[in-house]
Amino acid sequence: MFSFNLYLPEIFILILILFTIGFGVFNKDVSISLNTFGFLFISFFLINTGFNFYENYGFTDNTSKLLVLTKVILSLGSAVFILLAKRPLKNDNIYRYEYILFILFAILGSFVLISSTNFLTAFIGLELQSLSLYLMAAFSTKNLNSNEAGIKYFSLGALSSGFLLFGISMIYFDVGNFNFQDISSFGYMSEIGLALILISLFFKVSAATFHIWNPDVYQGSPTVSVLFFATLPKFASLIFLFRIYHEFNIVDTQSLNYIFQIVCILSLLVGVYGAITQKVIKRLLAFSSINHIGFMLLAIMSYQFMSEGTLFFYLIIYIITTFGVFSVILNLRDADGELTDISDLNGLKSLSRSKSIAMLVFLFSLAGIPPFAGFFGKFFILSASISEGLYLLSVIAVVSSVIAAFYYLTIIKNMFFNNSEIELLTDTNKITQFIFIISALILTLFFFYPDPLINLVDSLFS
Amino acid sequence: MDFNFPILSLLVLTPIIGALTLSLTGSEQLKNKTILLSGLWISVGEFLLSLLLPIFYNQTQNGYQFIEFHTWFDQFDINYFVGVDGVSIPLILLTTFLIPICLLCSWNSIQTRVKEFVIYFLLLESFIIGVFISIDLVIFYVFFEAVLIPMFLIIGIWGGENRIYATFKFFLYTLAGSVLMLLAIIYIISVAKTGNIQQIAGFSFQENIQLILFLCFFASFAVKVPMFPFHTWLPDAHVQAPTSGSVILAGVLLKLGAYGFMRLSVPFFEYASIFYQPFIFSLSCVAIVYTSIVALRQDDMKKMIAYSSVAHMGFVTIGIFTLTSDGMNGAYFQMISHGVVSAALFLIVGVVYERHHTRMIADYSGVTNIMPKYSFFFMVFMLASVGLPGTSGFVGEFLVIMSTISVNVYLTVFTAIGVVLGAAYMLLLYKNVNFGEIKSSIKKLNDLTNIELFYFVCLAFLTILLGVYPKILFNMINESILQGIL
Repeated sequence: MFSFNLYLPEIFILILILFTIGFGVFNKDVSISLNTFGFLFISFFLINTGFNFYENYGFTDNTSKLLVLTKVILSLGSAVFILLAKRPLKNDNIYRYEYILFILFAILGSFVLISSTNFLTAFIGLELQSLSLYLMAAFSTKNLNSNEAGIKYFSLGALSSGFLLFGISMIYFDVGNFNFQDISSFGYMSEIGLALILISLFFKVSAATFHIWNPDVYQGSPTVSVLFFATLPKFASLIFLFRIYHEFNIVDTQSLNYIFQIVCILSLLVGVYGAITQKVIKRLLAFSSINHIGFMLLAIMSYQFMSEGTLFFYLIIYIITTFGVFSVILNLRDADGELTDISDLNGLKSLSRSKSIAMLVFLFSLAGIPPFAGFFGKFFILSASISEGLYLLSVIAVVSSVIAAFYYLTIIKNMFFNNSEIELLTDTNKITQFIFIISALILTLFFFYPDPLINLVDSLFS
Repeated sequence: MDFNFPILSLLVLTPIIGALTLSLTGSEQLKNKTILLSGLWISVGEFLLSLLLPIFYNQTQNGYQFIEFHTWFDQFDINYFVGVDGVSIPLILLTTFLIPICLLCSWNSIQTRVKEFVIYFLLLESFIIGVFISIDLVIFYVFFEAVLIPMFLIIGIWGGENRIYATFKFFLYTLAGSVLMLLAIIYIISVAKTGNIQQIAGFSFQENIQLILFLCFFASFAVKVPMFPFHTWLPDAHVQAPTSGSVILAGVLLKLGAYGFMRLSVPFFEYASIFYQPFIFSLSCVAIVYTSIVALRQDDMKKMIAYSSVAHMGFVTIGIFTLTSDGMNGAYFQMISHGVVSAALFLIVGVVYERHHTRMIADYSGVTNIMPKYSFFFMVFMLASVGLPGTSGFVGEFLVIMSTISVNVYLTVFTAIGVVLGAAYMLLLYKNVNFGEIKSSIKKLNDLTNIELFYFVCLAFLTILLGVYPKILFNMINESILQGIL
């Protein structure tokens, strides 16, 4: 039963890829605007067809909404990201059209991954996404750190793909099928297989103890690529992880549920423990993202109490915040190029009022201090997990967020209390400036007017 | 009574809007004094606005008044639900009264980044008022936590040498306590299916669950009050904070914790409040006696007054947990009185610190000859802090001590010892600073300026007024305490 319409979003991306291959060689700027419009069109198309788009093709009601919303956010995010990426790439002298292609492939892979109903398709999607990411990590070819990051990411990523394949084959051995829906009851063999698949997915979202690559890759890669890694592909992988959790009822399989809980606790704690001592901004953000993954896993685990909603809400806020933080960092340069150390931010307050205040909002939001939107993300997740009865995990989560406040405060201390030691140059890039101002406004104004976001999430998943 | 004007939202929004307007003006165009002056006018306007509350408040009517209700998160039944009763109004007035004084006392001492300073104070004001007016648990928590942000920046930017250590300690201590309360709040909402404080007070939790929930709330409020083992952040924060920061910290922020005990802990967890009575009494007794002894040995004036704050707040917690009408009234009176008196004492220290740049008691001697007006006001507030009859300090302490007799006589003994020790260290402080030989280094100090004189007169007037005619406050609070809390 082949239905052309089902694949329309993916086909659009393929068309964009073909166009970019064709015209990008001659004119990079045109392909950037083309792709931005293309992604805007895809999100518009998806919204227009409605959230029940996939329901006609055998998906359940909730999954269909999940898929459409994820794809809309991914395409909107990519549209913004492509616009944003141009200037930083130029600054690093790596402005080449292949970069846009990698973004396209990664997003295509993410699309395929989240809407797959079959393990082989999922594998292809995940590989397509990951391979583009490895290349994006190594994109600054003259920079040794970037090469190292690419190699590290690739070798460890390949290992995790191996785990994934092995897990899939074990399930096939047990059930004789790749389709999710045919794997209803499974024996211990499939259980091990699923555990291996989970491990691979934990690696992709960099949950502890599969996180070791994360700080190194973040530190080495070009900062724009890090922004991409931290947001859109991770978002897609998490949604897939959620689907796996949901489709295979992992909550009822005790051994797998234990794995989930342990990974969640470790992510919460390892993230904060690692971040406290970091001196490099990107490493700190890497560890802090591990802590946030812990929160998202908690949201996945408490899915019976409107988890899609809480997970989505948290993810949207997290993506907005991350875009904001990285826009500020990309907007600042010192004499040797990008900012690396946290101490480089010293005295940012006296240099640029808007940037420092925006950073203040982002960091307090990440720390979960009201009245910023990040607090409500955490609040909803904790509401869900407490209704679910996961008391221990909730306590660990809030304790970790107190420790997390320490390193966010350290950054704020550097910006507001210290005097600057080095000459900071601000790169007056209108797009990044626009993005961080908008993000800070969204995070602040959410308190006064939460309806649009809340209603969106709620109307879909209640 | 018909009063449809949304005065409470206006009280919260006025400082925020003022801060926004200030932040949008270019930093170079305005002189520092102009910014301070505009901040002052905004806060004075806010004070006048808040005066409408006691005027239009109907004391014969039970429950919350000036209620405003807007749905906020429909799905969770979390609403923007605000209102005030007799317990909140005096604290709101105290806040709006102290903020202009904070700005006034920074007139000369704050020279750098004045605009930010004014903005943070205005934001702080609106967050604090937000805590006192909220009837919904979530919005209470939001404001309760949001207070940390401007305070963190105020101590961190304008504080003393060791300010970063102090402000981190302050922030993390308070946050660690508060997140446990957040979990308890979430649990309560998930069980009671509402965030409305009034409805939750009518909801009876299982006894063993009450014990846990009470401890979660206790963690947050005990840090804020601060009670004995959790008080170590306070001396650090006070010593490092600028004078205005100390004033608002001692004057209002400490009361947030006590207000939380009165408004949430006691009405929600009746069983647990009785169960933990001995526990809280013993902590408070230790606080009163131990910190008084510690205060005796301090050589830094601000630190001494900070420790005296811990001791005085010990009276408040004892009074609240006697769970009697007298004790509650006394505790509440003590809160307001301590808000005025300790704020004034920190201002007193600030006056000489601004002139002489040291807070060490040993550096001062014979000030009364050089600054007679100053030492007069010092005496008024010192005596109020000791609890001399006729000043506000007496009424609260007296009521609390009286209420302890019916509960536990040993408690009376300890509180009485605390009063004596309090007199000892305050008199010692006063003697060492004001009497004795005139040090040559302080001969050049000027007496109070007109601005300083103005706010000291206001504070002294309030102290005496409350001491001589305490009914003005009791009329307001008594009914609300009887109906709403006990």
